[in-house]
Amino acid sequence: MIRIQNAHFGYDKPLIHVSNLILEAGKVYALVGLNGSGKSTLLKTLSGQLALLEGEVWLAEHSLRLLNAQADLRAKQLAFVSSRFEGVDQLSVFDYIGLGRSPYLGAFGRLHASDKHKIEALIEHLKLSHLKLKRTKEISDGERQLVSLARAFVQDTPVLILDEPASFLDFLNREKVLDALLDWVKDQQKCVLFSSHDLDLCLEKQVPILTIANGQMNRWQGDSKKELIELLTAQ
Amino acid sequence: MNYKNRLFVGLISVVILSSLFHLQLTEMGTINRAQAAVFWWEFRIPRLVSALIAGAGLSVSGLLMQNLFRNPMAGPYVLGINSGASLSTALLVLGGFSWMHSTIGLVGSALIGALMASMLMFAVSLRVKQTSSLLIVGLMFASFCGSIESVLQSWASPEQVKQFFLWNMGSLQQLNAQQLPWFASLFFVAIAWSFGRVNALNAFVLGQEQAFQLGVRVKALRISMLAITAVLAGSITAFCGPIAFVGLAIPNVGRQLLRTQDHLQLLLFCLLFGAFFLVSCDVLSLLLEPYFSLPINVLTSLIGAPYIAYLVLRRA
Repeated sequence: MIRIQNAHFGYDKPLIHVSNLILEAGKVYALVGLNGSGKSTLLKTLSGQLALLEGEVWLAEHSLRLLNAQADLRAKQLAFVSSRFEGVDQLSVFDYIGLGRSPYLGAFGRLHASDKHKIEALIEHLKLSHLKLKRTKEISDGERQLVSLARAFVQDTPVLILDEPASFLDFLNREKVLDALLDWVKDQQKCVLFSSHDLDLCLEKQVPILTIANGQMNRWQGDSKKELIELLTAQ
Repeated sequence: MNYKNRLFVGLISVVILSSLFHLQLTEMGTINRAQAAVFWWEFRIPRLVSALIAGAGLSVSGLLMQNLFRNPMAGPYVLGINSGASLSTALLVLGGFSWMHSTIGLVGSALIGALMASMLMFAVSLRVKQTSSLLIVGLMFASFCGSIESVLQSWASPEQVKQFFLWNMGSLQQLNAQQLPWFASLFFVAIAWSFGRVNALNAFVLGQEQAFQLGVRVKALRISMLAITAVLAGSITAFCGPIAFVGLAIPNVGRQLLRTQDHLQLLLFCLLFGAFFLVSCDVLSLLLEPYFSLPINVLTSLIGAPYIAYLVLRRA
């Protein structure tokens, strides 16, 4: 669950204001807005890369300010997927997904049997078994993004934030990514927030939409694409 | 036993075998028992330990640098860390400071030089993202340091120049028994630190943004990585002179053979293979000594430089 109360987001000057917003567990939220509207700023603040300017934000049970001071605790509350993972030389898909467990590991970074079991089960579930032993540089963009989802899933945090996770993907892989997210929250009671430019897909899958326009973030209540575009482009 | 376990067992055995062979080679004719004991502790052991520590330490230093810079072509030599240590040593030797001849003076100056060079290169790497540009800056820095050393040499006395020249060739013979504990403890501190951070180092492979999301205290890790690489490269340069290419080449061999980014395996590999490599180079140089003298820096360049060129060509 994410709770935002009377908060200001921005680099150093306030760019976005959110008066009161609760994102529930068990749902996937899409964040839409034009380029430069502040989507990234918001996601960067929620994921601890930027400081919160004013107000209060809670991720699960914890205040964002507290989490930002405690790196290890934060990594157990929030996982983050960026829009593109380019792969690392000689890093296998299995090891990459395994890095999602690193907040729970000791100094030597050894995976326990239970960690391995978790990773194997998830790989099976996401139908990625054929990629397991490949290197992260050898697979396609779409595969890499699904594998990045898997890494975030094994991190097993109550909140998952994704910054345009499908922007570099074709229509088929975009749908795959969103389906994987929807499938995951269904039985896990996690709270997922992702930014997207794909209005059609978000409407088609009926995910709850949050809009950013004119320095305000709101839960969108309409139902047609035309209304949504009008809202996003209104001055 | 799987492939990796066999590889590590094999590495441990070749390290032991090459060390025994190395000790054998430093035999010096017929001497009495008392002399033999002195000879053993004053000459053979320090030289072997120098080779083991320098090889292992430079390789680990290279591994950490390649992770920190996210660049497989990074290493203490090409990035000018050795040059920084070399320059500050030159300033002391050629500047004629007498306290330079103490261990603390020697190690301290090289460490400061190495640390300053690594901070400079790290600052550059934040601005310059391309591998080639970074390496060019490193080379320019190295040649700049070299020029200053030349200028200093023209002022210094012939005796000082000779001393500096010998140091600059790289030698595993310079370390004496009194300096050994210093050298070994700096090495062990750095290695212990690295093994204690394997989990964070593994996450850091994904870049600092992702490492941060995985709970790594990125700033602290970066600063300590810089310090540790400088301690390793700086102390080894201080005691053995600049030794080229070991730090760059060995971690790349490790990643290729092990096909992994797991730093526990890579650290072990760098320690063992780095130690084995430098001991073998020294064995070779000892074997060839009756015919011609081959300084260790020349030998590692002869082997390392073509391998690096091959790596670059393969990636292109």
